Formats: sequence, C-alpha cells, structure tokens
Amino acid sequence: MTRLITRLFPNLNDRFSVTSSQTKIYNCVAWAAGETHRWWWPVGDPRYYWPHEVARDETVECFVRAFETIGYSMCEDREVESGFEKVAIYADHYQFPTHMARQLLSGTWTSKLGALEDIEHHFLDGLNGSQYGNVVQIMKRVTSLNP
Amino acid sequence: MESLISDVDLATEQKFNRLKDEWRKDTLATSSVTKMSMHPAYQRIIGMGPAVIPLLLRELQTDPDHWFWALGVITEENPISEEDAGDIIKMSKAWLSWGKRNGLI
Repeated sequence: MTRLITRLFPNLNDRFSVTSSQTKIYNCVAWAAGETHRWWWPVGDPRYYWPHEVARDETVECFVRAFETIGYSMCEDREVESGFEKVAIYADHYQFPTHMARQLLSGTWTSKLGALEDIEHHFLDGLNGSQYGNVVQIMKRVTSLNP
Repeated sequence: MESLISDVDLATEQKFNRLKDEWRKDTLATSSVTKMSMHPAYQRIIGMGPAVIPLLLRELQTDPDHWFWALGVITEENPISEEDAGDIIKMSKAWLSWGKRNGLI
C-alpha cells in the first residue's frame, strides 16, 4: 500500500515508513489517544466512541475538548519537548476536523490513515493536502512514557 | 443467510458491489464517519433500500466495515448499545443479531 499512500499524500515525499497492517478497527483519533480497539468520531447515530462529557460536534473545538478529557491542553509549537507528548489536529478548508497525529519520543509523528496502515512520518506537513487539509492545532500533555 | 442472499437478484448485487468498491476505494484514508457516509456511492447504496439489507449483513459477516449508517437509515433501527460504540466488531455483531431476530439471517 506504500504506493497508494504516496499517491494520496504526495507531500510525504517518501519520508515515511509503514508501521502496521491495514485495519478498520481503529482510526487516527483513537490512535492519537493511544487506543487500538475502537473508532473515535463525534457522530450520534450510529454511535461511535466519543468522550461522554464532550458534545458530538465535528468541530476543532470539540476535538480539543475530547483530548482535554485525557489530559491534553493546547500549545503553540510542534517541536518535541522533553517530558511531554503531543498530538496534532488537522482540518479541511471548512475547518472540519479530518485527522490526528501523535508525536513519538524521537520527535517524528505517527498517524493511522483511516482504514489504511499506521505510518511514521517526519513532518506533520507531509499529510497536508486534499485528504486532510492542514494542521490547525497542537496539544500536549505530560508524558507517562520513559525516554 | 444463504437463502436470503439468493433472494437478491443479480443486477442488484452487481450494482451494490460496484458501488461498494467505489466507496471503499475513495474512503480508505478517511477517518470521518460523516464523510464516509456522505460519499455519493454510499448514499446510492442507501438509495437501493431494503433490497440491500442482506448484502450489508453479509458484508458485516465477512468483512466488517462502516455499514451501520446505511443499515440504520434503511431499517430505522439501532441495535447498537452505548458501550459498544466505536467497536466495529461488536457493532457488526449487534446488527447480525438484529438480522437473526428479524428472520433475515
């Protein structure tokens, strides 16, 4: 599927590696939250997983609130920061959320591409384009991971 | 399921498969349930109405995917419990149980 990923995300410029098999069990939001057993999305009917205390609206604000429930808060920069883990929210030109990525300890990013594979990619902007739009918000929380 | 699928005429099944393949191809990298469900091919599957219910249930049996929106709209039912929300396998099983209860499987 590498060729398909390259075609869908031409800005990756081969600066990525595939790190899982394809699966429809979890999506990018779940992966960003550290989960691999369910699909996160704020739709009410049919009901997909969404933190119960957060409104089921497809807005960047609601995605921010969803990740605040698991300890994240908004921040300004995407650089790796010792002691913190970061996630990025992408949105299209209508500002509908489209994708989330999670930063690894190395400073590279990991993304689950819909029902495709997880990939590790060097730059967030590699996923910019017609599929996911652009990064609109970074969030961070104190990490529980050891370097 | 075997006898139910045999009730679906060939033209319907071929159209469903064509639309299904088009939908899958175009939404592989999509996380948004809304975008997946609003895709024109997915909407046309919904437009095929109750005739595709056996085909959707067969898909959930053989290759679970995001057919829950379509089934919910066509049947006006929702057998998925709150605790199973987002668990594709459990959501699929809920619909398959619904199919059994309604004599469709």
